[in-house]
Amino acid sequence: MKERLFEVWKQLRSKPMSLLGFGLIAFFTLVAVAAPILAPPEKNSRDAYLMPQDGYSPDPVRPHWQETPEKHRHLFGTTEGQYDLYYGMVWGTRTAFQVALIVVMSSLAAGILIGGAAGFYGGWIDELMMRFTDIILAFPDLILAVVIVAVTRPSIHNVMISVAAVSWPSYARLLRGDVLSIKERDFVSAARALGASDFRILGRHIIPNCIYPLLVVASLSMGRIVITAAALSFLGLGAPVGYADWGQLISLSRNWLLGSSGNPFEYWHTVFIPGFTIFLFVLGWNLLGDAVRDILDPRQK
Amino acid sequence: MAKFILKRLAFLPVVMLCVTMLLFAILQLLTPEMRASLYVKDPRQLAAVDQIIEKYGLRDPVYKQWGRWLSQVAHGDLGYSETAKMPVADAIRAFFPATLELTVLSFIPILLLGVFFGTLSAVYKDKWLDQTTRFVAITGYSLPSFVLGLLLLMVFYGKLQLFPPGRYSLDTDLLVHGESFRHVTGLLSLDCLLNGEFKAWLDVAKHLVLPAATLVYIDLALLLRITRSSMLEELGKDYIRTAKAKGLPGAVIVRKHALKNALIPVVTLSSLIFITLLGGVVITETVFDYPGIGRWGVVAAQQLDIAGVLGSTMLAAMLFVAANLVSDILYAVVDPRIRVG
Amino acid sequence: MSMKKISLLLVLGLCCPTSLKAKAFDPETFTYLTFSDADSLDPAWSYDTASHAIILNVYEPLFWFHETSTEKLDPLIAAKVPSKANGLISPDGRTYTIPIRKGIKFHDGTPMTPEDVRYSIVRFLLFDRNAGPSSLLMQPILGYPSTRDESGKLKPDCWKDAMKAVEVKGDTLVLHIPKPYAPLLTLLASWAPALSKQWVVKNGGWDGSEATWAAFNNPKKESSPLHEKTNGTGPFKVERWDRATKQFILLRNDAYWRKPARLKRVIVKSVDDANARKLELAAGDADNIYADRPVYTQVSNIPGVDIIDDLPMMEMNPVAFFTFKINAAGNPYVGSGKLDGQGIPPDFFSDVDVRKGFAYSMDYAGFIRDVSRGKGTQATGCIPKSLPGYNPKQPVYSLDPKKAEEHFRKAFAGQVWDNGFTFTLTYNTANTPRQMLGQMLKRRVESLNPKFRIDVRPIDWPAFLDGQRNSKLPIFLLGWNADYPDPHNFAFPMVHSQGDYPHNQHYANAKADKLIDQALYETDIVKRKQLYAQVQAIEYDDVPHLVIQDTVRFRTQRDWVKGWYHNPIFPDAPYASYFYPMYKEQRKP
Repeated sequence: MKERLFEVWKQLRSKPMSLLGFGLIAFFTLVAVAAPILAPPEKNSRDAYLMPQDGYSPDPVRPHWQETPEKHRHLFGTTEGQYDLYYGMVWGTRTAFQVALIVVMSSLAAGILIGGAAGFYGGWIDELMMRFTDIILAFPDLILAVVIVAVTRPSIHNVMISVAAVSWPSYARLLRGDVLSIKERDFVSAARALGASDFRILGRHIIPNCIYPLLVVASLSMGRIVITAAALSFLGLGAPVGYADWGQLISLSRNWLLGSSGNPFEYWHTVFIPGFTIFLFVLGWNLLGDAVRDILDPRQK
Repeated sequence: MAKFILKRLAFLPVVMLCVTMLLFAILQLLTPEMRASLYVKDPRQLAAVDQIIEKYGLRDPVYKQWGRWLSQVAHGDLGYSETAKMPVADAIRAFFPATLELTVLSFIPILLLGVFFGTLSAVYKDKWLDQTTRFVAITGYSLPSFVLGLLLLMVFYGKLQLFPPGRYSLDTDLLVHGESFRHVTGLLSLDCLLNGEFKAWLDVAKHLVLPAATLVYIDLALLLRITRSSMLEELGKDYIRTAKAKGLPGAVIVRKHALKNALIPVVTLSSLIFITLLGGVVITETVFDYPGIGRWGVVAAQQLDIAGVLGSTMLAAMLFVAANLVSDILYAVVDPRIRVG
Repeated sequence: MSMKKISLLLVLGLCCPTSLKAKAFDPETFTYLTFSDADSLDPAWSYDTASHAIILNVYEPLFWFHETSTEKLDPLIAAKVPSKANGLISPDGRTYTIPIRKGIKFHDGTPMTPEDVRYSIVRFLLFDRNAGPSSLLMQPILGYPSTRDESGKLKPDCWKDAMKAVEVKGDTLVLHIPKPYAPLLTLLASWAPALSKQWVVKNGGWDGSEATWAAFNNPKKESSPLHEKTNGTGPFKVERWDRATKQFILLRNDAYWRKPARLKRVIVKSVDDANARKLELAAGDADNIYADRPVYTQVSNIPGVDIIDDLPMMEMNPVAFFTFKINAAGNPYVGSGKLDGQGIPPDFFSDVDVRKGFAYSMDYAGFIRDVSRGKGTQATGCIPKSLPGYNPKQPVYSLDPKKAEEHFRKAFAGQVWDNGFTFTLTYNTANTPRQMLGQMLKRRVESLNPKFRIDVRPIDWPAFLDGQRNSKLPIFLLGWNADYPDPHNFAFPMVHSQGDYPHNQHYANAKADKLIDQALYETDIVKRKQLYAQVQAIEYDDVPHLVIQDTVRFRTQRDWVKGWYHNPIFPDAPYASYFYPMYKEQRKP
């Protein structure tokens, strides 16, 4: 075991990008766990995810280091509506993890179930499940997600439901294709000829042989899911205003992208800080996805 | 093969029917008042909500509304899109060429750059070329399109005033709507060239640069990654090792043997990528104020413009089925191990 | 090949940056970037400001507001403005004789006749689409607000009533109305502009006959040919409505009956993104844009751009409405539905002390200072400053935690104070001033007593409509914009028990109703003002809603724009314009 860990570490060390991915996700995990310490909620706050608001003026206040002493109460400044950006970034990390993990888990489970069964059993099961998958896939996913959220009313939960509802078909399809291709291979026929049960064939021979592309795609789509959820927030369909959510913070920055005249970057922080954070978070997952594949894929050793 | 194609084509109407059924089923969750919100936009109209519900039959059960819509479609009328302010058929005619133009123009570089750099990456695995390519691609893939789009606009329109948002400027607008302008393909950039209007072509091209760049940069990584990993897998296989052992030159191995096999997943997935691209234009079109089907669809969905959602979705569904058909055929052609049907 | 093409394209694009920047100043083309989508160009259909911002440049009503005035009228396609003094309004105030101007031509070249004017008004009345503007004229001219009864069935005599009420005598149009109606002339200055009957019929519209009127009543939008085609008498023609790029191209009407406009071409384009609007303005591609108070700091100080501020408006926004009888069935906004600290009972806001508690908990001055950037003044009642009937002497509420506590302690015999309450205050998504209003109320009320809990939640328009319609929202935040410049247009929808808001709030005050009805038929302006003062005194005592501010807005335009003036009754004022008097002139360097 120790040796194995050492092996992993050796591999990691030789790949700075994977290391960066691990580092980023570790950092965000730390921030999410320590959120109540890093950004303690206001005393009378009923929901820690609601960002504290400092006044009602529309103009964002610039970050701590750019502001005159009497206004520098906010490390990252405030965004439109005087929401504390630092607080939003910290607690938004938790929101991002929740969204990403819940959506990936549930859509992966659905994808494996449906795609695996379809590819393995073939026949009418395949036909039925794949046609259903096709129908969901036939929707442009963002539009379907928007329809679902618009109908079920905008909220962070409905964003998760809608993103999961549009994410699983690609897993199902990918898995089915791989299962189909592996099913035809000699070692599966051999196992079948030896009288192995369906379950055994699936579990021992087929799934392990096609789980890696799926895991890679899943870890890749981790980032994609954060982006889709953020896009829904950007369109005004996500969490209610004031909820710590990165996508929404970007949409709050939309009016402030250009700053005031003469100082085009006056409000740079309102878009750059949440935008760069989402970018790093997604980048972390994507690099991690690479690393996961490089380390776990037995075919590449 | 022909049987297979026919079978898939026959399946098209079924998909369409199911797509619309699913949409109407989702709508079951709405109250009649919510459905009326499409027609009542101003507090001054609040008093008329009940009459609106009555007029458009919004209190009817959803299957009835679906039936009504179907019979309308059967009579050749796709309905009226309240958000596009025009009949759905007109809206498709107006928006689809714009989206197609943007998508195709983004898809070609994605395909070429993706396969090219993906192969290079695999061949020079873990060398600086591989690392750089992958890092650049992965940063693109990690950028939300609205962040990238807004930043590009800020720099290239706000600061440098090079590439404006929209589809064309006023002069081009007047030109292409003028009487002497012939609409041949519906793709404006091509039509401008065919009409010999170089200035207009340049204008259209300028408007396409930023949204296309956004799409390419963001979606490049997917294809690159697929090519690379599939290529790596092929390169690791016994026959390649044998070929290497035999002393065949590396380039020949890559071109003649590995690439052909490595392209199988690329081919099958590229149709999906094209669809992803079509879906992905939604945000890009919104950010760049580009009058395409994605922007229309998302606004229609947000405002519960059912006719509009149905119109844009049906179109996308049709394209999807077509793209899938193409991909399946290609799949069968390039990988004879797969039985079709 | 294609890669080459792309790179070529990029290179070419980069090589020719000048074509965007150095665009020559075009004195004849005016570009306005708006934020809203027009709905329809049929004057009888459209009720939204974006459509009317186009319609007012294309079609012409009988009268027109004298420049910036909202009271003084000029004749437009009428030859004279009727009054009792010139004898064109009968002494009993029920017959209006309106001479029609001669020599006016429609855009298609056909001359306009009094019959066209009559037809246009009758069509406006009988068109009567649901949620449309027809009732605005039907009430004064026919005496009832709809062509259909409660169950939606057509009233059979509407056509005959309309024919009797609106007739042509020689060169004049004569209106016979059932009761004197104070705002009638201002209504006719905003609604029912002249259409060419012959042209409408030719395009498949209503022919004006009794046999067919029912078929053209309450149509679906797509069935009206006038939805996208236009043929008015106004200074501009619609060259094209490009609904894909959401823009109108208007061309000067060179055969206009007055001197043709100075602008040759006007572009009205809807651009959703505030940044894009600002950039085009800064680049000089746009001549004026929609820019609201929250983005003030970003559009100020742009070289070559003027900001014209402190423009009075005819609107009441935002307003916090209390629902007196909340529908508690399956209602997510009222907590437990009981006065146990975990919710509110359905009649919570029927207690005037609760409402006054809220009224004294609002920081009106703070709202104007922070949200409106110090612009505007506190509203004194439902009637805005720009209208007669505004009463500057009316006492108003102000932030007073002591008085608020006093009232909350009295409410429900002390139970509110002892048990506390919880409910959800709602506003429609993406409306920043309303969001701020909600949060300010929440913060102040909650600071009075730790048992008071208010959740402020944005809900999207469909849910909002549903909740408002079914009286589910305990407090909802909305506003009101004028249809025509008359105090009735505010007093009725906001205070009268049959009005748009009180109807769903279940607020009724018989005395207020009587005063409002009386004021409507009173033509003496002094007496009217007194009546409206009384209405607003009742409004102050009853607190059916909280009015916050008399809004002032600002216009953002290039400094070369000349000839523009502000009239708060223009649709989408001060952003949209009546383009006729406008022109562009560059300052000499």
